[in-house]
This record gives sequence, structure tokens and C-alpha cells, in this order.
Amino acid sequence: MPSAKRASASIAEEALVHLDALYNFARYLTGSASEAEDLVQETYARALGNDSQFVAGTNLRAWLFRILKNLFLDGRRRAKVSPIVAGAEVMDASSLGGDPDREPLRGDEELELLRGVVSEDIGAALLALSPDARTIVLLDLEGLTESELASVLGCALGTVKSRLARARAALRESLRDYSKG
Amino acid sequence: MTMDCAEARTHMLDARRGTIARELASAFRVHLDGCEACRNEDTADAALSAALERLPKLTAPQSLRADVVARRASAPRRVQASPELARSSRATRVMVALAFVAAVAAAVFLVGRRRTPTDAIVAEAVNDHLRVLYGEHLVEIENGGMHQVKPWFAGRLDFAPVVAFSGDDDFPLQGGSVAYFIDRKAAAFVFKRRLHVITLFVFRAAGLPWPASGGERMGRVTARAETSRGFHTLTWQDGDLGYALVSDVDARELTQLGERVAGTR
Repeated sequence: MPSAKRASASIAEEALVHLDALYNFARYLTGSASEAEDLVQETYARALGNDSQFVAGTNLRAWLFRILKNLFLDGRRRAKVSPIVAGAEVMDASSLGGDPDREPLRGDEELELLRGVVSEDIGAALLALSPDARTIVLLDLEGLTESELASVLGCALGTVKSRLARARAALRESLRDYSKG
Repeated sequence: MTMDCAEARTHMLDARRGTIARELASAFRVHLDGCEACRNEDTADAALSAALERLPKLTAPQSLRADVVARRASAPRRVQASPELARSSRATRVMVALAFVAAVAAAVFLVGRRRTPTDAIVAEAVNDHLRVLYGEHLVEIENGGMHQVKPWFAGRLDFAPVVAFSGDDDFPLQGGSVAYFIDRKAAAFVFKRRLHVITLFVFRAAGLPWPASGGERMGRVTARAETSRGFHTLTWQDGDLGYALVSDVDARELTQLGERVAGTR
């Protein structure tokens, strides 16, 4: 078997292992089953159509998630959707927090909310986040490592922790808004 | 080395996961010990992690899987074939693709036949039972009798759990707690059988993949007994509510409890 064919078959085989994770990610990223299916299909079409771009020995999982994330963001841009509802300014801030004392204290009320919140509310609160914030929270939930997150997001490794912390803080704010609603 | 609040908050998740860098761990701990605001943040962030863990893990639909499998099958040929070869062998490739799609469809059909509709319910019941076992507290409301446990759920659930059995010497009731079953809240009742823990989950039944047939009659309900990962489960519907009993106790004893819970004994 020629090496190109062998590599391609190997990538295709390994890519299939990540199907459920990609679908789960896409489902919560879009909030839509049909859109998630389309995204995953397109991701595999792109990946298998451009497998020569994949560098052997690097991280296939991160590569696939990156393709999916880029497709999602491109689609949003083309549709001129205005997705930024919560957390945008938090994610765009160049530094973390600044003055932590300005943030509301987390009391028993918030803990009660977080402990009682159901999955529908979490899904809705995720959709209220900026795409960047939603992406990093969901990718972390998928178990991607810090370096994988940096690769998917196309950011410096050193900024991943602070981005994730800000996104999670934004999600908590979003969940609190839902509790008020 | 000292750490301020902003930096401490970027390391909270790593610290809880045990992945914080060794050289930072001490400074982080010192900061947290002396900063109530960051301790509160850490507690709330941990609660967020628990909430996110409750999101159901969704699996790709079979139709999507079949599509991706078909793409996988065609990938090597696409890479190998020159344009000339691709044109000359188009008919062959179409036939191979059709044969492959037929094979995938057959495989999907057979897999679908092997999987029972209750797979998701059983898997969730076992997962939730493990959460009860591994939780900090087995129950949130200690047993003072079902007359105390059931009212405790009022205001915590969007339905009233109907359980006819209050526990006895064979299956003493330990208490209850609020749990999550797939995408909804559930009442979790914890019973004991000798040293074994048995969890009964009661939840709204609508919208779950209940089987259309099968199972064994258990009084006026039909219960399905299955085993998953070494745990026995007994699941049934009664009106609007679904019930799932889970334990590593003997399957016959689980059925005995099921009969009592369903009010048939």
C-alpha cells in the first residue's frame, strides 16, 4: 500500500474515534441537532479532503476540533448572526479581572442555583455566551488539554488558563441571569 | 512567592484537578487560605464544574455515523487515484460505494437490533447510582420515615414522587436526595440491603426511550431487569413517572424491593 494511501486510511480510521465527541461539542456549540450534524459532516469532509495538511505525529483530535470550530465561526460570520450576548467583554479584556473586589460575592444563593440548575438551563446559558467563551468551556469539558486548547483556539499556551477562567465566570453570570428569568 | 487574586483564579481549576504546577501549588494554597473572596470563587467554580458534568453526553446519530463511515471508506481511494484512474474506474467506485453503504446500513440495522431502547436509561441509572455512592453524603435528607422524606422533595422537584414502600427490616430506607436523570430532575431514595446500597430514582417518564414491549409483569406494571457494569437494574413506568432501581445486590433481591416499591407486595 502506498504511504500516502496508508496515512490517509489511518487518519480516516482515527478520525472516526472522535465522532461522538465532535458531535457532542457541536450540539452544545450550536444548540441545534441539525446544525450540529451539518457541522460534523462538513468537518469530516474538510478533514478527509485536506488530510495532506495534517502533520503526521501531531494531534488529530485537536486538528478536527479546530476545523469544526472554524467552520462554526465562519458560518456565524456569513450568516451575520450577532451571537455576543454575555461574556464578550470579559473574553475581550486584555487582563483578567483587574479588581476582583468589584465582582459580586458568591454566596449561598449562587451555590444553591448551581446545584439545582438543570441541563436545559445550562445549555441555554451556554448559548448566551460569546462563541469564544462557549467554545473554550465546551472544549475543556471534552477533556482537551491546555496545549490542545491553545491549538484549537489558535492562541498562545500562556493565555489558555485566563481565557478559560473568564469564560467560566461569564457562564456563571449567565446562569445567574437565567435564575432571575 | 506570592499570588494575587487574579492569578489565583486562573489556577483554581488546575488546583482542583490536581494539575497545578508544583512550584505554584504552595503559593496558591497560601493565597486561598487567606482570601475569603477567592475561597468563595473556588466553591462556586466547583459547583459550576458539577453542573457542567450533569450535561448529558450526546452521541452522534446513526445516520451521521453511517455518513462519516462512508466518507472514511472513500478517503484512501481519493488520495491514491490519479485523475485518469479516477475517470476510468468511476463505475467500479460507484459500485463499491453502493456495496459499502449497503453494508453499513446492514450493520447499523443489526447494531440497532442488538441495542435495547432502555440502554440509555440503564446507563444513566448506573451512572447516577455511582454518583450517589461517590457523593460526599449518601443522602441529603436522613430517613425519619417516608412521611419525612417525601415532603422534603416538595419545592425541589416539578413532580411528586409516588413511592408506596416506606422501607422495612429487609430494605431499610436511608433517606433521599435530588438527583438528575438524563435531562431532568429526579428523586433519589436510598435503601440498604445488608451492606449493599440500593438507589431508587423516580422521574418524569415522558420523552425517554422506553421500550414498546418486553419485560416481566410486576403487579400492574411491567419491569425490565438488566445488568450493566456489574450492577443490576430494574426499570419501569407507572403513569407519568419512571422508576429505576440500581444496586450490586442480588437481582432477585432487587426484584423483591421492586415489588414493594411498585406496591405489588
